[in-house]
Amino acid sequence: MSPPSETAAIVRGDPATYPEWFDARRRARPLIVSRWVPLILVGIPVLTLFAIVVYPTVWMFYHSLRDTNISSLFSGNHAYIGMENYATVLSSERFQDSLVHLVQYLGFGACLQVLLGVVLALTLYECVKSNLWRTVILILVILPMMLPPSIVGVLWRFLLTPSNGAVNQALLNLGLISEHIEWFNAGISLWSIILADIWNWTALPLLIVYSGRVSLPPAVYEAARVDGAGQWKVLRHITLPMLKEVIAIAFILRFTDAFKFVDLVYVMTSGGPAQSSELPTYIAFQRGIREFAIGEAAAYAIIIFAISAVLIILFLKYMKRVMKAQGIA
Amino acid sequence: MASLDTTMAQGPAPDRRWRLVRLLFLAFLGLWLLFTLFPFYFMAITAFKSAAETNLTVPTFWPQAWFPSNFAGVFAEPTNFDALVDSFVIATGNTLLALFLGTLAGYAFARFPRQAGGENLAFWILSNRMFPPVAVLVPMFFLFDNTPWGTDSALSLIILYLVFNLPLATWLMMVFFRDAPRELEEAAYLDGWTPFQAFVRVTLPLVLPGMISVAMLCWIFAWNEYLFANLFVGTEVRTYTIVIPTFTHGSQTLWNLQMAFSLIAMIPPVTLFILLRRYMVRGLSLGVVKG
Repeated sequence: MSPPSETAAIVRGDPATYPEWFDARRRARPLIVSRWVPLILVGIPVLTLFAIVVYPTVWMFYHSLRDTNISSLFSGNHAYIGMENYATVLSSERFQDSLVHLVQYLGFGACLQVLLGVVLALTLYECVKSNLWRTVILILVILPMMLPPSIVGVLWRFLLTPSNGAVNQALLNLGLISEHIEWFNAGISLWSIILADIWNWTALPLLIVYSGRVSLPPAVYEAARVDGAGQWKVLRHITLPMLKEVIAIAFILRFTDAFKFVDLVYVMTSGGPAQSSELPTYIAFQRGIREFAIGEAAAYAIIIFAISAVLIILFLKYMKRVMKAQGIA
Repeated sequence: MASLDTTMAQGPAPDRRWRLVRLLFLAFLGLWLLFTLFPFYFMAITAFKSAAETNLTVPTFWPQAWFPSNFAGVFAEPTNFDALVDSFVIATGNTLLALFLGTLAGYAFARFPRQAGGENLAFWILSNRMFPPVAVLVPMFFLFDNTPWGTDSALSLIILYLVFNLPLATWLMMVFFRDAPRELEEAAYLDGWTPFQAFVRVTLPLVLPGMISVAMLCWIFAWNEYLFANLFVGTEVRTYTIVIPTFTHGSQTLWNLQMAFSLIAMIPPVTLFILLRRYMVRGLSLGVVKG
């Protein structure tokens, strides 16, 4: 058979003029709108995010390699200096101190919040049986999350006022302390911020773990009961292993938030006294917008960005797994 | 789906030791509630105290005299009311923008996943919400300086809040559109409607409840935002979140007025949250609802 000429009529069923894949490809395109409609629908938000997130990040990366300050930013007279900004940042005592603060915040703020969240969520689910009570308790526990950071900050500043604050007075009345605690002295002010943050955000891991527990299949628990497993065994061998990914998500979420966490520092202590409650993110903002050392701020930002990127990739990995398991995606 | 009011099957049969442990855990939950609610209680009673009483050396846990006039006193300063208006304008403007863009993109992701860039692009959009804003804010601060409206304007915040609200709106609308049955839309095509008509008159009404809840969530986050506003605005435009820490008279903080103003500003988000708790929990179980 000769190859089909360009003018040959297309005959259905004739493999020479009507290839087998033709039908398959026609069926594989269920689009009722033209191809560029979804591209535009998604393209506008994607371009917006490129303009307000990706472009600034690239801008920061560029300036982290240059000796930019406020005047050279506008005159354009900044020069490439390699990794010098990173060296300055990494070797500065201010940054190293803030890393110590960050570790304290992660260990006693973020980790404690997740632990408390897990305990409280499982308590709420296993020990409170009435639906009404569950709902009421959840609403009350979540209330602090509905406040803006500035209210949380001023409220805790007020409660922790050393001379006549409510917390000191309450502790005195209960006989737990014999003299006022100086909540905003060097060495303690960071712990005050962590306390306010625990109050503000423990409900987030609580809620994540609680909704994770609610969506566990009841059949497994029926089976365990038939087998005569006690509460502890069920908790250790069924509930916690099945909630592993959800708890991981809660951890990662609080850890990524630790790199965003800066507003309470602004409201409660402004990093003080004597820079004793500064976190890396706070220094990045101060250097960039208040002290105009843009190259250095950019180096801070890129370091923070890189650590966050690792955490976010981990987060998305677990998210996909949980969403597949729950049939959401 | 996870929700606050879900009933579940009973756990395994309780034994005696378990009963004691259960009581201990319940006591802990009670203590936690006390810890959570005490600041709210103290905030509420402080809002009714006189300025003199808030500065006593020994704080009172019940007001000696009640001053409901504090709430009117907050608005004796007209700038406080203006701050609420500014916050409202910014939050509403940003919500409308994020919802419009997010609905379109969410629809494309749900109906034409392959053509719209697939799962990875959707996850990339979501990840924008989680990145620390530090890499965004410093450059945007200098970039907005060169625009005609400058940094200190409602428009700059309306655009910037898209950083966290656009990923949220896109992601949640995608989930809601996936739940809306595709068959109804296809039936509309068979009746000779154009895709646009089918979208507006069939699918959109189906996801309307979801849209409303997304709008309210976005609105709460924009209403409560502090960091961006603190760095960008302050003279021409002042959101209430940056006004609250500035309640001073000379060197003294006016705690009673500050707490009264905080209580007033809390009303919208708390009301919306109580109305919306199911959706909030659903959004949370997707790990994205966080300011």
